[in-house]
Amino acid sequence: MSGRLAARLWTVLAALAGSALLLFLAAPLAQLVASGGAAGLRGLFDDAELRASLLLTAGTATAATLLGVVAGTPVAYLLARRPFRGRALVAALLDLPLLLPHPVAGIALLLVLARDTPAGGALLALGLRVVGTPAGIVAAMLFVSAPLYVSGAREAFARVDPRYEGVARTLGDAPWRALRRVTLPLAARGLGAAAIVMWARAVSEFGAIVVLAYNPKVASVLSYDRFTTYGLREALPVAAVLVLLALVPLALLRAAREEA
Amino acid sequence: MSSLHRRIHLTRGPSYILAVLLAAVACGGRVGDREGARDDELDVFTAGSLARPVRAALDSFAPGTGVTPRQETAGSVELARRITELHRIPDLLAVADAELIPELLLPAHAAWYAVFAHDRLVLAYRPGSAVAARLAREPWYVVASAPEVEVGRSDPDLDPAGYRALLVMQLAERHYARPGLAERLRARAPRRNVRPKSADLVALVQAGELDLAWLYASVARANGLAVVALPPAIDLGSPADSAGYAMASVRIAGRTRGDTIVVRGRPIRFALTVPLDAPHPERGAALAAFLLSPHGLALLAREGLEVSDVPMVVGTGVPSAVTAAVAGAAGHGAAGHGAAESRTARPGAAEDTP
Repeated sequence: MSGRLAARLWTVLAALAGSALLLFLAAPLAQLVASGGAAGLRGLFDDAELRASLLLTAGTATAATLLGVVAGTPVAYLLARRPFRGRALVAALLDLPLLLPHPVAGIALLLVLARDTPAGGALLALGLRVVGTPAGIVAAMLFVSAPLYVSGAREAFARVDPRYEGVARTLGDAPWRALRRVTLPLAARGLGAAAIVMWARAVSEFGAIVVLAYNPKVASVLSYDRFTTYGLREALPVAAVLVLLALVPLALLRAAREEA
Repeated sequence: MSSLHRRIHLTRGPSYILAVLLAAVACGGRVGDREGARDDELDVFTAGSLARPVRAALDSFAPGTGVTPRQETAGSVELARRITELHRIPDLLAVADAELIPELLLPAHAAWYAVFAHDRLVLAYRPGSAVAARLAREPWYVVASAPEVEVGRSDPDLDPAGYRALLVMQLAERHYARPGLAERLRARAPRRNVRPKSADLVALVQAGELDLAWLYASVARANGLAVVALPPAIDLGSPADSAGYAMASVRIAGRTRGDTIVVRGRPIRFALTVPLDAPHPERGAALAAFLLSPHGLALLAREGLEVSDVPMVVGTGVPSAVTAAVAGAAGHGAAGHGAAESRTARPGAAEDTP
């Protein structure tokens, strides 16, 4: 009897704690959308700076994600499939950017990519200026979000049974062909989900971007700038629109996971 | 547990989620309320160019008084807007343009202010850099308008150094009688080289991203950067040249988006105030009195500021502690010893005239 009572009590407490957390997560966002959502959606039509900033954000995040996918997929495959010397080191290196405060990431990138540095100078000679340009935004986004893609892609590869690839090999497929025809299709949904996570993380980045490129302003910088320059009234619509737009990758992610 | 989970999931899911969302909306109250204050806090808003000297003075002030200073740094225009638009009120506000206080804060948010330091605008660069060698051979305005040179400036809508850089460009065009010079100088400092406050440019000069940056002399000095000293007729550092400065003007963002105000050239003067509605006005006044005392001014001067010998106080309702500190500085100045050794005031620019 008392055991059942205790069990009920724990159930109620667990439900209360969970609800409190959900409330804590939902309340600020719901309030933000309730206060600024309508004005924000209007802003999509009559605020050219906001529109340009959203397009810039989407474009740079997409570019960063494409770079991350192209360069990160082989690394993720290696980490998932091939034991090699220094694997632990590579894995740790890939986790490190996730632990850095983002302004620190920006400062580190500045030291490597400034005009005066070998890498920055070489890029400039090729006509690619990094600091204060969309290229700088892509660099900052790539730095902070590529590790998320690699770890997601690594898990996606690890979930595919290596025996399928082995069977394809015994049936005469070359390694690259087996990878392309067997493992990649089987891991595709996981890779897609990882890419969406990376894209969403890139869109939400602020700290590293603002060090490298205050102008042109991505959406996160614009919302902060509006807040500090003009106050809440001007910042709310921008912030609310960002919350609403965050629902798009969220929906995509759910779709990718449901099908997986 | 799993049956509970399933029941919530299957039958109560929608209504449960609806309840959480309703509660979430109900939770959000009116926005913009002031945050509650703890007992030993002292909120200080400082202009980027004053952050370092005020920080040094705070390190010396706080231990004796048992308060915990919390310093926030931004461009001075931005700080004023935090007060007027966000209703975030500090206990002490120190800005890089004294005129901002009468223009943006009097009478609703402040009743008085004290001018305690002055400065001039310079072009700062890294000693030993390529541009340093060029500056030794060519006039600064040729170097600073050359296409391969990157010049940084701060955002005129947020930071006085930003609009002052634009004013100096106009004054230089007139002074050197070179039509189009202001536009060429501005073109070398495009948007990608613009940062929210001038102090942000220091790191970019040090990292080599920028060759030159429009900074206050005190900021350049405190950070070990070399400077191009401009003629007093254009550097906004000489009260005697006020009439000439006033011939330059720029338009910056006003209170709301799309709105603008005109700023004219005027000598660079730093000022502080304790805002009306400060959460801890006595603490703010005590810190103001400390900063304006001979000892406080000497601490600020040690960090590179060109402090006034006697601060100039304008307005009404000045706290008695502040009046007493300034009177002490006046006596001290007349006696002519003590804190003066680290002062670097230039002749003719030392006194602020109302």
